Amino acid sequence: MPSGALAKKLLMVSGLGLVVLLLVGAAVGAIGSAILPVDSFLSKPEIHLPPQPIFPASIRNQQLGLTAEDGHDGESADKEKDGENSSSEEEEAHIAPLPITQFAVTNTLLSAWLATVVIVLFFVLGARKGSLIPGRFQGLVEILVEGALSSCAGVVGSEMARKAYPIIATMFFFVLFNAWLSLLPFYQFFGYVQDGEMKAHILRSAGTDLNMPLALALISFAFVEYWGFRSNGYGYLKKFFALGQLLRLKPAGFIDAFVGFLELISELVRVVSFTFRLFGNMTAGEILVIMVTFLVPFVATQFVFGLELLVGLIQAIIFAGLTLVFLSVAVRHDSH
Amino acid sequence: MDPILLQGFNAEAAKFIGAGLAIGLGVVGPGIGIGILGAGAMAAIGRNPEAAGQVQTNMILAIAFAEALGIYALIVSVILLFVV
Repeated sequence: MPSGALAKKLLMVSGLGLVVLLLVGAAVGAIGSAILPVDSFLSKPEIHLPPQPIFPASIRNQQLGLTAEDGHDGESADKEKDGENSSSEEEEAHIAPLPITQFAVTNTLLSAWLATVVIVLFFVLGARKGSLIPGRFQGLVEILVEGALSSCAGVVGSEMARKAYPIIATMFFFVLFNAWLSLLPFYQFFGYVQDGEMKAHILRSAGTDLNMPLALALISFAFVEYWGFRSNGYGYLKKFFALGQLLRLKPAGFIDAFVGFLELISELVRVVSFTFRLFGNMTAGEILVIMVTFLVPFVATQFVFGLELLVGLIQAIIFAGLTLVFLSVAVRHDSH
Repeated sequence: MDPILLQGFNAEAAKFIGAGLAIGLGVVGPGIGIGILGAGAMAAIGRNPEAAGQVQTNMILAIAFAEALGIYALIVSVILLFVV
């Protein structure tokens, strides 16, 4: 580590470099090129909401309009042109998601697998030694695990927290790692390029695919309902179909039935709300990064990355925390 | 209306106007809601600074509900811009 005057000089030079890069970025970006007489540094980004299939290769080529890579260097020019035509035709088609009968590994699915592997490695490596006096890494893992457990216990009580903890903590770390891994600079480095244009990245944040938040929301829903039935028996249904007063022909029964109906609706709407909250936040983050890079390249994106770190953490807290709150409402024995 | 103006108003223009209106009007409500929530939480922390941690957690959870509405508007406008 340099120290003293040298460190100060280094700091000043790098700070000056950042400011220069920011100014250059402002000049050659889309904003600068609209005002100043300079050419835009980047072309306008295209945004595709559905995830791109990666494996198997045939579906990938067909969906993305890639020409097959079987060595067609020596082909005639008009054939080359023909291929280009068909690829531009299929570009319209690849806006549509895959039909339900076709299975393909998409880049978001790959990315979710990567996140799973990273989570497992992180915790297995952290807990492997299990020494009584933890080192730095083990200490970090222990803080995370115990912190999650104690904040679970703060909401549903320590007895229920032990039962709910595995799923709640898995949700938390899955959402968190998915959000944070996609902020790594090399994450979107690899992909399939054709005509100087990136057609599909091999990795893409799993939260930007509607299927992952939907799956998590359904898991959360099923989990809450399971514990509702397990702790209240079939009496849990009385919360939603409060027909007891109505069957005894009391006029106030209508209000009970209506309130129960509202409970049922809000229970179902939760799934939609969970899904779109996570999907919207993750997608908006990606689009924001892309757009800021397009408007002011180089340095200005870093502030957005800082914001995205915060958003990823808050979304993970919200997803796990809301599931926990709904769980505590479902397992509560209330007498009506 | 002026026929030239009508001619210029095509589906593409309607898409952009719709997307802008969707996000612009859609975040007004959640913005007000989050403001009220933040103000309430600040007042609570000011009265009882020891409870700051718990107030913060609950505030974030409550903000999530308000924020979800803004996210709906965002998704509508993103779909208008990039999918339709």
